[in-house]
Amino acid sequence: MLGRISLLLALLLATFPAPAQTTTDQSQSEMVKALLTRIDKLEQRVAQLEADKNSGSVPQLQAQTQIPQPQSKQVPSAEIQQNQAAAQMHEHDEHAQNGTVAEHHFPSLQVRGFGDVDFSATDEPGSHSGFTLGQVVLHLASPLSRKIAYFGEISFTAQPTAYSVDVERSIIRYDYNDYFKLSFGRYHTPTNYWNTEFHHGLWLQTTISRPEMIRFGGRFQPVHFLGMLAEGHIPSGRLGLVYEVGLGNGRASIISRAGDAGDVNNNRAWVARVFASPAGLPGFQVGGAIYRDKISPSPALPGNPTFGEWISSAHLVWARETPEFLAEFANVHHRNELTGKISDSQAFYVQLAYRLPWQERKWKPYYRFEYTHIPVTEPLFSLADFRVQDLVSSTAGLRYDISDFAAFKWEYRHTKRGPTDPQVNGVFMQTSFTF
Amino acid sequence: MRKATKLGARLAIATALGLVCFSQEAVERASRQDVAVIVNPKNPAGSLTLAELTKIYRGERQYWKTNLPIVVLFRNGGSYEREVLLHTVFKMTEPQYKQYWVSKIMRAEVTAPPTELFSSGMTKEGVVTIPGAIGCISASDIRSGMKVLRIDGHLPGEPGYPLH
Repeated sequence: MLGRISLLLALLLATFPAPAQTTTDQSQSEMVKALLTRIDKLEQRVAQLEADKNSGSVPQLQAQTQIPQPQSKQVPSAEIQQNQAAAQMHEHDEHAQNGTVAEHHFPSLQVRGFGDVDFSATDEPGSHSGFTLGQVVLHLASPLSRKIAYFGEISFTAQPTAYSVDVERSIIRYDYNDYFKLSFGRYHTPTNYWNTEFHHGLWLQTTISRPEMIRFGGRFQPVHFLGMLAEGHIPSGRLGLVYEVGLGNGRASIISRAGDAGDVNNNRAWVARVFASPAGLPGFQVGGAIYRDKISPSPALPGNPTFGEWISSAHLVWARETPEFLAEFANVHHRNELTGKISDSQAFYVQLAYRLPWQERKWKPYYRFEYTHIPVTEPLFSLADFRVQDLVSSTAGLRYDISDFAAFKWEYRHTKRGPTDPQVNGVFMQTSFTF
Repeated sequence: MRKATKLGARLAIATALGLVCFSQEAVERASRQDVAVIVNPKNPAGSLTLAELTKIYRGERQYWKTNLPIVVLFRNGGSYEREVLLHTVFKMTEPQYKQYWVSKIMRAEVTAPPTELFSSGMTKEGVVTIPGAIGCISASDIRSGMKVLRIDGHLPGEPGYPLH
């Protein structure tokens, strides 16, 4: 009975906005509130009538539930409901037969999109100013059952002659509980906070671009990882510890890519990350990760050496917007397995932003400093085909959220790479959005 | 004598103003309806801390201790229950709430935001029919057979109850 009335009223409510589109948002909101209040009152009335008709149990329960109970009696409501459960079975069955209002269907695919349009102009010799269509990204999420879910991310990127399509992420995850979830697929490697926080959703990130140390197509750290990942909470009370442990193919022969079509050698890469998000400090996160791989580069180098790779990283984040603070550091250790030559390269960035309180909090200025150091004796990154350059870069920008789901960003960037490279200044603009 | 009369009058006015303010505050306090947290009657949980409730509603905790998936039911925009939870549990504005779930789904932490329902009746029905469901209704809507959780050790209507 209650369910039918709810459904009817919900249908009435759902059809209401169509003829009322000419009214203002405020009046619509007030009307919705009035209708909801009316629904609630009607439901209360129906429940009262039903209760009066059946027995006097409702007032008794209300009295027992609402009167403060002694603290020593831990679960009074549980006892109450036990006594009432039998009386409610008939009502429950009726609800079940009518079909629940919150019924879940599997699979249930949901698609969300991200997009951006960019403009850039720099004083770098040989560069051209102009507009570019950034990535169009489709994010897919679909529960396959109550404990199994699929996630996918597909990007369309403009190239000089066509659009390239990439499966950025494709993950199937099996949940046992909050402490153990096992997934298989292609991930953004969890060695870096930015990589696993913002993915390809440029609208999600404050700035126009990613930090250089984790940029798409970059070689300093592997952006993608193909394999399996176990993750979950670590029982740690208010500390909020989370772990991730993965095993996968690691870098492909082209070291900026993951081994999607099979590993390039018989050595699996593995990654482990732990971070803490304390319950008392929402937005705060601190953590670190270790990544181990063996690289078999292509084109092969003289003597066909392989390289052992250890990446250790750490991050410290305050993700609130007043202020927003992001800082990450990574050390990449390479060892030439043929010669035994070792080298360590470092990169870090620090980003600070603040959501201004005026004008409906639409403005957010920001600044980011980035640094990358590659030793000249680095056995892999110093070679032409695998080069990663030094970098000292400052970015100052302003973000304006034109709506809840779209933003404009303006940036000035000053970049200095190698000692003999010229300093580059550039201005960049972007509108990014989700749909 | 005149000074004493003036002082007395001022005291009387101040007392009257104080009484008016006190009564207004009492009326406001009484009008702040508590929001009850209800779960399926078969759910063994009897109480939660506000921190645990926050984790559940924010999708950071997704399973009950029995490994049963938690199904969070949330009221639609404009409802009193939603306003209370946005303020006390999420500590977010409505746009921030929407952006929060876009981000969370993008991170592959959840597949969808909490199911939004249009009335307390729908919430009650959802909680009754879905084993792992949790929902919030106005305390005046509590009926027989519902399992109301203590939050931080308090039931709705008790002093110290945090959801109102």
